[in-house]
Amino acid sequence: MKAEAKNEKGNGGNTPFTWVGKRVRRIDGPEKVTGELKYMTDYQYEDMVWGKVLRAKYPHARIKEIHVEKAKSLPGVIAVLTHKDIPGFNGFGIVVPDQPVLCSDVVRCTGDAVALVAAETSEIAEQALGLVDVEYELLEVVSDPEKAMGKTSPQLHPDGNIHSHVKIKNGNVEDAFQEADLIIENTFYSPRQMHAFIETEGGWGKMDEEGFITIKCPGQYAYRDRMQIARALAYNPERIRVISSPIGGAFGGKDEITVQIYLALLAMHTNGRPVKIHYSREESVVAGMKRHPFKVQMKTAVKKDGTLLANRVRAVGDTGAYASLGGAVIALAIEHSCGPYKIPNVDLEGFCVYTNNGIAGAFRGFGVNQVCMAIETHMDMIAEKLGIDPVEIRKKNVYHQGEVSSMGHVVKSSVGTHKTLEVAENCDLWKNREKYKAEASEPWKKRGVSLATSFHGIGMGIGLPDYGAASIELLPEGKFKVAVGCEEIGGGNSTVYAQVAAEMLKCDISNIVVVQGDTSQTLDGGTVTASRSTYTGGRAVATAAPNMVSLLTETAAEMTGVVMEKIEWLPNRIVAAGETISYKRLFDYLYEHRRKTKVEGHFMLPKEKEEIKGSGGAPHHLYGYLTHVVMVEVDTLTGETDVLRVVSIPDAGKVINPQGLEGQTEGGAVMGIGYTLFEDVLIEGGYHKTRNFTDYIIPTIRETPIIETFPVEEAEESGPFGAKGIGEVVMIPIIAAIMSAIYDATGARIKHLPATPERIYNAIKQLKEQEAQPAR
Amino acid sequence: MLVSEIDVISPLDLDECLTILSREGIQHRLLAGGTDAVVRMKDGKWRPNVWINVKGLNELRYIVKKDGAIHIGPLTTHSDIIRSQLLQTQADVLVEAAREVGATQMQNMGTIGGNIGTASPAGDTIPALFVLGAVLEIRSCNNKRLVPIEEFFIGPGKTVLRQNEMITNIIIQPQEKNEIGIFQKLGPRKAQSISIVNVAVNLIMGENNRQCLGGKIAFGAVAPTIIRAKKCESMLKIAPITDDMIENISKVAWKEVMPITDVRASASYRRDMASALLHRGLYRLMRRWESYES
Repeated sequence: MKAEAKNEKGNGGNTPFTWVGKRVRRIDGPEKVTGELKYMTDYQYEDMVWGKVLRAKYPHARIKEIHVEKAKSLPGVIAVLTHKDIPGFNGFGIVVPDQPVLCSDVVRCTGDAVALVAAETSEIAEQALGLVDVEYELLEVVSDPEKAMGKTSPQLHPDGNIHSHVKIKNGNVEDAFQEADLIIENTFYSPRQMHAFIETEGGWGKMDEEGFITIKCPGQYAYRDRMQIARALAYNPERIRVISSPIGGAFGGKDEITVQIYLALLAMHTNGRPVKIHYSREESVVAGMKRHPFKVQMKTAVKKDGTLLANRVRAVGDTGAYASLGGAVIALAIEHSCGPYKIPNVDLEGFCVYTNNGIAGAFRGFGVNQVCMAIETHMDMIAEKLGIDPVEIRKKNVYHQGEVSSMGHVVKSSVGTHKTLEVAENCDLWKNREKYKAEASEPWKKRGVSLATSFHGIGMGIGLPDYGAASIELLPEGKFKVAVGCEEIGGGNSTVYAQVAAEMLKCDISNIVVVQGDTSQTLDGGTVTASRSTYTGGRAVATAAPNMVSLLTETAAEMTGVVMEKIEWLPNRIVAAGETISYKRLFDYLYEHRRKTKVEGHFMLPKEKEEIKGSGGAPHHLYGYLTHVVMVEVDTLTGETDVLRVVSIPDAGKVINPQGLEGQTEGGAVMGIGYTLFEDVLIEGGYHKTRNFTDYIIPTIRETPIIETFPVEEAEESGPFGAKGIGEVVMIPIIAAIMSAIYDATGARIKHLPATPERIYNAIKQLKEQEAQPAR
Repeated sequence: MLVSEIDVISPLDLDECLTILSREGIQHRLLAGGTDAVVRMKDGKWRPNVWINVKGLNELRYIVKKDGAIHIGPLTTHSDIIRSQLLQTQADVLVEAAREVGATQMQNMGTIGGNIGTASPAGDTIPALFVLGAVLEIRSCNNKRLVPIEEFFIGPGKTVLRQNEMITNIIIQPQEKNEIGIFQKLGPRKAQSISIVNVAVNLIMGENNRQCLGGKIAFGAVAPTIIRAKKCESMLKIAPITDDMIENISKVAWKEVMPITDVRASASYRRDMASALLHRGLYRLMRRWESYES
């Protein structure tokens, strides 16, 4: 069988590829660009009803009584539900289901849900919310994570306010601090970033006459959403269908349950009518997930020659009222807190702490953003103090494949850091930085150029199931339906799956139909998170494809009586002893003989055998790497910072689609700019000060710089065609690079993000005052 | 009041509009571009019994020169202002300010009359109107009065406009050949942002190098209403506006302002930014003046 030219990993030696590695246009592009594709929350149905959620009035209070009679008697109201109406388990949460679906005794943040309403119009539903009378007894608000960890703080959950505590220790940091030639110590604060997806949380629920429930709700893992719905409803999951794709953006913010359970509960009470919930932006700000704000204390020791000796880190993350993925975020932060370097002595610990500050959960970068800004700032401070080039000091300390990382484990998978640094130091922006810096447009404008590097684990880490699954079905018209659980959240994985399938089946990409995010059509293939969907889903497709090749080769042999060895698998057709057999004919034959036309592929993500004790899941087997070079211009009169140029140098393994990769590097850079310069959801005493996009500032096209992408392709043997994952690290090192570039431009170090004009201005002002002092 | 219970009346001409405004006993609000009104309605803040939708009153949408003055209809959109040849050459500071309002969509919908009527201390076109000496024509069913713009505002969101009145004309003094203006805005980002501080400057230049014969400076977002910076203005004539002089003038600006702390910025930052924006504005204005001259 000639089809075996490539194995299931797709590593076919030096075979030139037809689809992989090519700038294939996005298969979902035209309908998204033209607006032909509708958001799920944009649909309307004639017999629909509107659902709304009553939020807690206070960030921390005991519920004494809930009166729903008045709300129920309002004309047009169809149902009013409270915790008493939950048939199953009143809770959800990916790791620890500690968040009530509807609060029964205590509310722990203003995003908490207390009651649900379904009504004929959105306005009546809103009115009904106002008629639900909840009697509260106010409790002391826990708003400071450090204080929350103290003994005197009110306890928000039975096990206290420390949801998780992770520790990694190697060598002896105390001795190293004694030996060191230089020690740098700083505290960094990072913001509560909002995902700011274009489509706020929402969706549809409907129950048919037979009690079959359909939930159409954008999400990042339909199968897990279904499990969480079934658990709350005490319902057979087989009788629930979750459609989770397409999505108007997610970035981690739709990884956890958003409104799926509310929809299912309401659908049970609307007499078969479809119910819609769609948050306003204001509700999304209050009730939606956010990125964990961190306080990171770091002490780094180094020898005179720039060799890193020791790193001590203490990180505290504010997870808000509930755990969601907070524990995992803190664990990943600690795993990445020493950067892609080999530091022999480390003492690292992280705390995930409950407060009454909304809810924090998964967000692109997953804790690494917050620690990268610390270690990379330290690298630059050390380089400056020791008079070493910033590239050199990094090159000197990075681990290579086969070396021991700061975590103390041997990194067996591909490592591209060194290569990305080589590309960085040879890029135009870095080589000619002095020239560019001198070109500031006005006398008070100062330019700075800086770089930073980082990495990000791919997949779930140790302790969590991590697998990919895909099916390929031959359709009546001769097309191949490739079904993967992982949703298309905008990153372009659908095109990647089509490319991998087309490459391996040797057909035109137009012959591939991709289906994602639907429990009735796809296998459970895990989440679209953790930079895993190209790697895991792609590999699952690449595992399924040879099964389709075998099925059709065997079928062709049977149809024609030609021996298997004489069957040729050629582009877009199969030839048996000179006779061309179309895919359609193969389908017809299989169908006539009542044979299956569908094959599957399964893939277990490789993992490290041993977990680092106390680390909460470290290390990962695989990491993606990336170096950013940026140029900023700071207006020293006002503190405004303009990022003018970005060079993004990813090691994503083999790049399946350069255009898709650029989509990631460009979008990631802009999101990183927003994180560094503008974005923060302000909460005071448990109440949101930031209401909507009027005051939550995200970058627009005018804040978008020139972004160049130069991938280094360190092929990863286990990936599809050598690919790794890159969806998160694309927004990470840029944070530290901008911070350092601001320093390079102005001499002011910002350690509290976002680096708003006011913060930068004040730092410059302070610097001037300090400089003025000795002259007195 | 529920949104669905609010009536909308769209008068066909100004007379009808003024008649509706004069009706007693109904609580009404004017709706022009809706870029503020709709947002406030959504927030539950503005829920009148009746919206009087004036967006269609094309007779109030014009930019014309009449008797040596420029008349701007209140329903003129920011985009109209940006595209107006007349304003570009004889009211450059207003054009610059209109360009800084929100983003293109808001410039297309939002009107100058609405911007004035909303009376936000951060309204972008208002400082420009201050330095161009704008006078507002205000009409009711049976009365017409002229109010200089500096007397129009009495606090955030508050004006001298009565329930039965509306702005029907905005009259500004065109810039002479030796006049030059600039608008500077500091927002949390470059577009689609509410001003932290803004400033409009209009200078009358003399024959000599950087000689200034006088001028007006108005700040936004640093007091309950837009304010003139008279101390700074008085310094304009002292000496040629050299780079050193610019620094001296702008250093005084903080004395003119009484800002507050809010979610966007602290009072002390706003105070410093009044100086910074004036510095930046005068510097850029002088560069521009010199490029015209040469």
